[in-house]
Amino acid sequence: MSAAPDALSPAKTGARRRALAPSKGRRPWTFYVLAAIFTFYVVALYGPMFCIYVLSFQDLRGGLVFPMKGLSLHWFVDLFTQARTGDVAGAFDRSIKLAILVTVITVVVSLMSALAFRRRFPGDTIVFALMIGSLVAPGLVLGIGVGLMFNALGLPTTWWGSALGAQLSWTLPFGVLVMFAVMSRFDSAWEEAARDLGASRWQTLRLVIVPVLAPGLVAVALFGFTLSYDEFARTLQTAGPQNTLPLEIWSMTLNVTSPALYALGTVTTIISFLIIGASLGAIVWIQKRRGRRASST
Amino acid sequence: MTNQRGAIELAGLTKSYDGQTNVVQGVNLKIPNGAYCCFLGPSGCGKTTILRMIAGHEDPSDGEILIGGDNVVGLAPAERGTAMMFQSYALFPHLSVRDNIAFALRVRGQGKAERYRVADAMIEKVRLTELRDRLPGQLSGGQQQRVALARAAVTEPRVLLLDEPLSALDEQLRIQMRSELRRMQRELGVTFVHVTHSQLEAIALADMVVVMEKGRIKQAGPARDVYAAPRDRYVAEFLGGQNVFSGRVGAVEGDVIRLDSAELKSVIVPLGAAHVAAGDRIDVAVRRDDINLHRPGAPLAAGASSLASRVMGVEYQGNFVKVMLDAVAGDEFVVYVPERAFFEDPLSVGDVVMAAWAAERSRLLA
Amino acid sequence: MRLNKSVVSWLYILPLVLVLVPFFVAPMLVVLVASVFNTDGFGGLIPTFTLDNYIGVLTSGLTFKLYFETIRFTALVWVFTLILGFLVAYFLVFHVRNQLLAIGLFLLCTVPFWTSNIIRMISWIPLLGKEGLINSALLKLGLIHEPLTFLLYSSFAVVVAYVHQLTIFMVVPIFNSMARIDKRVVEAAVDAGASRLDVMRLIVIPLSKSGVALGSIFVVAIVMGDFFVTKVMSGGGSASVVGAFYEDIGVLQYPTAAASAVILTAMLMLSVALILRTVDIRREITQ
Repeated sequence: MSAAPDALSPAKTGARRRALAPSKGRRPWTFYVLAAIFTFYVVALYGPMFCIYVLSFQDLRGGLVFPMKGLSLHWFVDLFTQARTGDVAGAFDRSIKLAILVTVITVVVSLMSALAFRRRFPGDTIVFALMIGSLVAPGLVLGIGVGLMFNALGLPTTWWGSALGAQLSWTLPFGVLVMFAVMSRFDSAWEEAARDLGASRWQTLRLVIVPVLAPGLVAVALFGFTLSYDEFARTLQTAGPQNTLPLEIWSMTLNVTSPALYALGTVTTIISFLIIGASLGAIVWIQKRRGRRASST
Repeated sequence: MTNQRGAIELAGLTKSYDGQTNVVQGVNLKIPNGAYCCFLGPSGCGKTTILRMIAGHEDPSDGEILIGGDNVVGLAPAERGTAMMFQSYALFPHLSVRDNIAFALRVRGQGKAERYRVADAMIEKVRLTELRDRLPGQLSGGQQQRVALARAAVTEPRVLLLDEPLSALDEQLRIQMRSELRRMQRELGVTFVHVTHSQLEAIALADMVVVMEKGRIKQAGPARDVYAAPRDRYVAEFLGGQNVFSGRVGAVEGDVIRLDSAELKSVIVPLGAAHVAAGDRIDVAVRRDDINLHRPGAPLAAGASSLASRVMGVEYQGNFVKVMLDAVAGDEFVVYVPERAFFEDPLSVGDVVMAAWAAERSRLLA
Repeated sequence: MRLNKSVVSWLYILPLVLVLVPFFVAPMLVVLVASVFNTDGFGGLIPTFTLDNYIGVLTSGLTFKLYFETIRFTALVWVFTLILGFLVAYFLVFHVRNQLLAIGLFLLCTVPFWTSNIIRMISWIPLLGKEGLINSALLKLGLIHEPLTFLLYSSFAVVVAYVHQLTIFMVVPIFNSMARIDKRVVEAAVDAGASRLDVMRLIVIPLSKSGVALGSIFVVAIVMGDFFVTKVMSGGGSASVVGAFYEDIGVLQYPTAAASAVILTAMLMLSVALILRTVDIRREITQ
């Protein structure tokens, strides 16, 4: 440790104290201010969410605000049985199927696009500009454009057709940007080495590129799933007659004034957490497996 | 007829990335089968580009590459019978040593048992048996280098291409791995083409040294020829060990040249096959270890070249002492004095000395 | 046989183009075309070329009110997310000494991003409402005697909900660019006598520029393109450009809606282009 010699030198300690990021010694006053801001941020981030999770467990007498009245699963039952809340179970089912579809396409297409964007090619700036445009375009406007286009072509809007496309126009640019960040740690010499050793393009992809990038691909998958599972503006005019979950929640926020709304929030959050947990678990598992395979003699 | 499958011939090889400036300009070279050939030059001289063109990772803009007599331009890397060892090795980070080495066999569709048998034999050859299940990240630099070498060699290439293979290692390891490379080359018996910017590495390893500057070959030949008989000032200065100075020809007297400036009047240069006339500017090289230093007034051998000068600096190097002189204005002039000789009569800064050498040791440069 | 390199690149990029053309370029063109059509009043479009829709939108006093509101919210949210996001990222990168802890805290900030935005928005209702936690707490403490009404269904609530949702879009890119700053550069500046303010002004801020730009693009694009938060959290008190657009669609006024959408999209693209001018995003993220 280099702490001892540093502490002994008074000049160095002085410099350290003035340093922005003192790695040792007394912390500057800004540390405490920033720590307080950070704590406030985290509390404000999680606090409200915890409130509704708690409120969703009240009993029949409960309302939309505190205090808690009793403790029960009444509103969860209500959520899936009451006709007035719409087809929540069906919306869940569709949303998850759609999210899986979007995830698979996003991972594959983002990987291919990020591989292409490593080199310059004619038209690359145009494709890049289109991608950024698609990312920032107002979702509702784009959704209506898709809806009008399907109408004009005489095609019905469906969650697995028009809504899928509209969601991809948002998840793909996101996925490619994340892929860029992932690829920045990829050494193209690995690819050349594989080609040099006789691997075909496909073998290089399967045996080198995908395994090396695996943790990053899981991250892209998590993005794809979440962005789709939570997508609202682009889906609103493109989903057709059958709602996805965010659309269901949206209509509930306008019509339902019971804690059933909170119960729905709790259920979707549990699903989100399961997905996050599975993704992080997958990343850890990939790393572990590499380590284990390496150390088993 | 000897086996020529690993012989390389470059004919008019040219590479340009932008269509205007040539990174490699019309290179012609023959590398014999089984030779250890080093491309030597500063960064940006085109040596790595030539290597990558031989490997098939770049396409030449013009010219031909023949390996074993066949033109390989346009073939995929794996179809050329070459294998490349990359700078910083490019070992696959997710595969064990054994799987890295067996990779080429795997993509050729060999079964697990078969490819592990071949890979293990290669692992034995590079002495990594006990590390074969480690990941590249768990190996030292020297071990990684051996894995890279084994991975390239396992395809039984006719030519092995090495891009700055020792640059990632520290000094001591570099010297150790240098002899290991040479040993492997002898064992495998294939042509090695090695790119480096270190003249020490090139001289120590190569049967054939190719000195490059700005996309062109300045001199190619056996290491000893290039070191002892550099063709021009660039090669002499890049390989080091030589004092190079320029002067004007005073007179050509038979087969020797006399220089005309006052400080160089006692320097005689053999003419050789060159044609010069009085008044031409010429470059002259003398090996630093061919020069003796004498105190003023000491007798010089008859016919020796000499320069009067002052000691500017003394650096102890262990087996010799490096003495810097102000002998020639504008050019560095250094003498390597054997340690024992130096300490019989140590010189210090400011001492006046005569630097003298046998006239035939001077070389007229192109 | 070996394919030309450009052809290979295009084969790789083709799937992306095959999504972007029918689901971004074409719909936007459809909206553009619809904006110069007439309507039959029943949701049908009559192909003509008229600028009446634009004239209608641009001469309406309501339009300017809407744009003013939208731009005001965008600016407020941008400022607050930038300040908060910058400080959070700065704290994590430069003040948390244990790197593992810094990454852990960073992940803690990102987790809510993976949960439903709508749910996160409505989660403010039990806090900010008339009988919500904040009001009850203040009443109990005797600080106020009547519940504060500006907390919910107000501009305040809109900004709170947006900042809550979007600060993460600032934190992540700024964290990334700050984490790439070589700590030795900061040490060198301190050795050269720079004060903490100098280091912040001359090193940290310039080197986090790309992260700020990327975060700003996300925040500006999302707030300008959204209507949902404004609609719910303002309780109908405030409107937004996209909200009005949605109302127009509801009453089948497609051409007017389309004209308004074209103007909004043009403004949005212009803002993004301006931000992109300050930094080469592609180079920044790929390097």
